[in-house]
Amino acid sequence: MKISAAGLSDVGLKRETNEDFLAMDNSTNLYIVADGMGGHLAGEVASKVAVKIVQKNVNNWINKNSPLTEIFDFPDMTLSQRGNYLSSSIKLANRVIYEMSQEYTEYKGMGTTIVILAVMPSTIIAANVGDSRIYLIRGDSMEPLSKEHSMVAEQLEMGLISKEEAETSPLRHILTRNLGSSETVDADVFEIEHIDNDRFLLCTDGLTDLVSDNEILNIIKNGNDPEHICQQLISEANKRGGNDNITVSLISVNKESDEKRGIIKKFHTFLKNKK
Amino acid sequence: MARVILVFNKKVIKEYPFSKDSMTIGRDEANEIVIDNLAVSSHHARIDKTGGIYILTDLQSTNGTFANDKKITSYKLQHKDKITIGKHLLFFAMSKQEQAKAKEAELDKTMILDTAQQKELLEKQAEKKAKDVSAQQGKMGVISFIDGSGGGEIPLTKKLTKIGKAETSEIRLGGLFMPPTAATISRRPNGYAITPITKKTKVKVNNEVIKESHYLKDFDTIEIGSYKCQFYHQESQNEK
Repeated sequence: MKISAAGLSDVGLKRETNEDFLAMDNSTNLYIVADGMGGHLAGEVASKVAVKIVQKNVNNWINKNSPLTEIFDFPDMTLSQRGNYLSSSIKLANRVIYEMSQEYTEYKGMGTTIVILAVMPSTIIAANVGDSRIYLIRGDSMEPLSKEHSMVAEQLEMGLISKEEAETSPLRHILTRNLGSSETVDADVFEIEHIDNDRFLLCTDGLTDLVSDNEILNIIKNGNDPEHICQQLISEANKRGGNDNITVSLISVNKESDEKRGIIKKFHTFLKNKK
Repeated sequence: MARVILVFNKKVIKEYPFSKDSMTIGRDEANEIVIDNLAVSSHHARIDKTGGIYILTDLQSTNGTFANDKKITSYKLQHKDKITIGKHLLFFAMSKQEQAKAKEAELDKTMILDTAQQKELLEKQAEKKAKDVSAQQGKMGVISFIDGSGGGEIPLTKKLTKIGKAETSEIRLGGLFMPPTAATISRRPNGYAITPITKKTKVKVNNEVIKESHYLKDFDTIEIGSYKCQFYHQESQNEK
């Protein structure tokens, strides 16, 4: 399995600071994007703290192969061990940010969204809280692997408003869940089997507010190099106003190399070349 | 401080200062703003203050809530907005500072709404609709074997269910040509999807061989090798 990944974060054109935070760990194949909120520097602190805590704890649990009884809070039996590591690290990060915001007046009201992608040998695990997103791009289609925790998304799911109303609603930036606003939080976690050439996009609302799903898909479909695609996505959002910080990370998973080894691989490339 | 002014027949009935984080409107005595009129539901609407802005939400009332003569589900209130409930009018007024603050909040800023308050709000809104809409969202998928192999019914409790010969499979199938993992069923944001894993063992859904992930609908038949089963959603019992 070969993973190529890239990630970029941009302040955008309207904001003075970048409250988004991005981390890519190629040794444990862990990719994280967070979008902080809260006045002064609190948003920057929240997103950075969240990413660091998740990274540190997940890596620590992986190294020790910690049983589920040793992780933070109750395990979720619908998830694999690694899925539990992700979900538990998010709960832990939430608690820390919550306590910081209670303790210090300068951090009052701070919070952050988070999306995490973990690539395992045959599966990927996607976890999220808030309105940052993870997409799976497979062939010519793109589908979300994250749930949006915003008032508008929940109203849409319940059938109270239409998709058109949701897109233009003035309430679309009101979150119903984030890290830091309450003592406990539940992440939405999804686990799926990956296939050859699957690509995953992690992004903040600085991108998705301005660039539609179809446009994002087109850029990714027509691109190859993850870093170049990330640059294109960011410049597209900036072209349309760059209202917010924009963070994107694209992870491409190639499995072919596992399956065709040695002589079979040679034979396969021979056939390919002949065509 | 913002104020809500209740008007009926062109006469000001009462003025309500917005002193708490939320105010409810309805016929019931427990509301902050009580309107004793049959056209008004007992819990009709509410106004929540979050960040610097005020949000008006209709609580699935019988006769609806209107903001500036437009029917709304939820709506961001601005200075001098007119709210119509039955034959009563409510005018919303903000102080100068609040108007400035709301303007500042305008700039696409992300905010968090207090979860307990918001959950209650959404639940109230959804009470009537929840039964028919999003009916399948919380339901658990079940695989039911219909080939007489004695597999019975297997609830898909995990986010990822592996099907095959391997001991770690959630659904174990025997047979000489059965691979360790023949297919997986994953629970995704859009529902349950089945994915074939190897090219050698064919996976059919409704008699058609699938090569990629396929979203499952109620009573789809799935064939894996010589096994045949059906998928459906179960009434949730312990699911949230």
